[in-house]
Amino acid sequence: MGNRSSLLLREEEIAQIQTETGFTPNQIERLYSRFTSLDRGDCGTLSRDDFLRIPELAINPLGERIVNSFFQNDDFNDRVNFRQFMQVLAHFIPIKKNKENKLNSREEKLRFAFKMYDLDNDDMISKDELLAILHMMVGTNISEEQLNSIAERSITEADEDGDQMISFEEFCKALQRTDVEQKMSIRFLN
Amino acid sequence: MAMLLTILSIGGSILLTPFLMLLVCIIFLASIGKSIGVRRLYVKTLLMIFEYGRKDIETALKNNRKSEKNEDIDEGYSEEITLEKNNENYSVSNGVANGRNNTVINKDDNLVFVPEPPQTKTEEKPSNDVIVQPKEKYNDFELSTVYEYVKAGVEAIIEDDVTSRFEAEELKNWNLLIRTNRGHEFISWKLTFIWMCGFCVRYFFLFPLRVIICCFGVGFLIVSTFSLSLLPKGSAKRWLNEMGYKIGFRVIGQGISAEITMHNVQWRPTRSSVCVANHTSPIDVMVLSTDNCYSLIGQRHGGFLGIFQRALARASPHIWFERSETRDRHAVTNRLKEHVSNPKNPPILIFPEGTCINNTSVMQFKKGSFEVGSVIYPVAIKYDPRFGDAFWNSSRYSMLQYLYMMMTSWAIVCDVWYLPPMYQNEGETAIDFANRVKSVIAKQGGLVDLMWDGQLKRVKAKKEWKERQQEEFSKRLIKAE
Repeated sequence: MGNRSSLLLREEEIAQIQTETGFTPNQIERLYSRFTSLDRGDCGTLSRDDFLRIPELAINPLGERIVNSFFQNDDFNDRVNFRQFMQVLAHFIPIKKNKENKLNSREEKLRFAFKMYDLDNDDMISKDELLAILHMMVGTNISEEQLNSIAERSITEADEDGDQMISFEEFCKALQRTDVEQKMSIRFLN
Repeated sequence: MAMLLTILSIGGSILLTPFLMLLVCIIFLASIGKSIGVRRLYVKTLLMIFEYGRKDIETALKNNRKSEKNEDIDEGYSEEITLEKNNENYSVSNGVANGRNNTVINKDDNLVFVPEPPQTKTEEKPSNDVIVQPKEKYNDFELSTVYEYVKAGVEAIIEDDVTSRFEAEELKNWNLLIRTNRGHEFISWKLTFIWMCGFCVRYFFLFPLRVIICCFGVGFLIVSTFSLSLLPKGSAKRWLNEMGYKIGFRVIGQGISAEITMHNVQWRPTRSSVCVANHTSPIDVMVLSTDNCYSLIGQRHGGFLGIFQRALARASPHIWFERSETRDRHAVTNRLKEHVSNPKNPPILIFPEGTCINNTSVMQFKKGSFEVGSVIYPVAIKYDPRFGDAFWNSSRYSMLQYLYMMMTSWAIVCDVWYLPPMYQNEGETAIDFANRVKSVIAKQGGLVDLMWDGQLKRVKAKKEWKERQQEEFSKRLIKAE
């Protein structure tokens, strides 16, 4: 029962997560109750399967990439604990003017977005990586040539130094006029 | 020591007579289907106590907040929505929309994932600028195009519409049962005292009484169905069976203090029809059976439920099939047709969701029961979760554990709405008909109408649904190419 286990969250842990992420204690408790209900095995951590058991996520074309972003920090571990879980979610807290926060700044949001494409974690988006994401998005509905041309065009539009790759700096520039703050923010309620 | 024992035995023998009197009285009243209003009074009193508890908790929380009040300035994007202001819910009667309470986030609705998006919905109307913006961008693929999907995905991780339907519903206010608390027991001494009294009443008075009544009810059903099975077929047997069936379930209903309100009895299902209801727990059957005799259809169970099923099948036609047979949909449909074709058979009760859902929503109706071609009587059942959660989380609790929880709850309060009979329109597919019936039930019961399959409780989402989403995205891209 999600409710009962929320008692297991200690005050210190809440305070720690609060300073790390900027969530309010109330939000932390509610998200903890969500965390425990996703945790089918009652082991205090989530596996990839635990995430993909959410149907709405499982049918999201990018579902697996999104889940993957929870498992970034540490390659050897295939489970996420509550702190890591909260740190990823903190990227989606709306930006507040007078509150400095390490995790939800515009740059962090862009970094999170960049990593969606960066499949091999080399801080560069290659054409193959872009193609792979396009494949995830459209399945078999669009022909290979068309996808190829879309990928090529996107690369050349963003590429400045002519290496046929998009670096993080180039990525930021390409998205300069995009409202990342809004696109990568979720309205958390108090 | 000996003194104590004698005192106990004397006290016991004095208390035993009124206890037995009470028991006989309850069973007698239940069997003639009358109520003298004790339960109504009991339910009202409980509501007053909960209201008192809620106030107490609120004042305690306020005092806590004052000490640690930190100025949390919200501006612009994050909206100020106070969830505490839901007190009016107390005056509102049962069955009013209460789908999504206790939300953590406010979702953007411009990208909603449903298993099969209706064809007409592909053209989203740009109602406000939040939607207009991404819409323009679809003229071509851009790096930022996919972020709507990322956001929707993360939102689903925080809160989704499906998995929460298979968990016990969260209550806004503590109903003084341990299993629904959020650490409220030690808010104040007054409340703890009330809780202790409630505990004693529930476990040392109500529970034993309910167990005895329930055993009597089940015993009555078993004996009556057995003796009925010896009678020759005919209208007398049918009549006796109907009586025995209703009396048996009424007594069992007393055993869990069911306070059932039937609405629109003029639409009570007639003979040889199909009755379709939303499913929360096996208790649904009992709730409906206190008012009408049904034929039941379902999987053969073992254990306690199995004894029950075999007993029922002796006296009247029920359809129990083996687990292996469920795959053979044709066989099941044929048996259904056969049953409905006999005008003397009682209406058949079907829960087309195929699984128990926590009574906040209705999920996809399996089309099988709508292929029979008979008249459908929809029934909406809505339990009042404040007095005890009727939802059976079958993956967590066994049937007897569940019954134990029911019997130690305050009561099972529910509303049943009979709805006007529905017929399949000409040219309407079974799936469309099923959806139409489902939405009627959802509307009446104040439940959220979901397209998702209830089987997602056990199995993962189907690959085809994801392919549908990919198709949708491709369409948006192609349009611009």
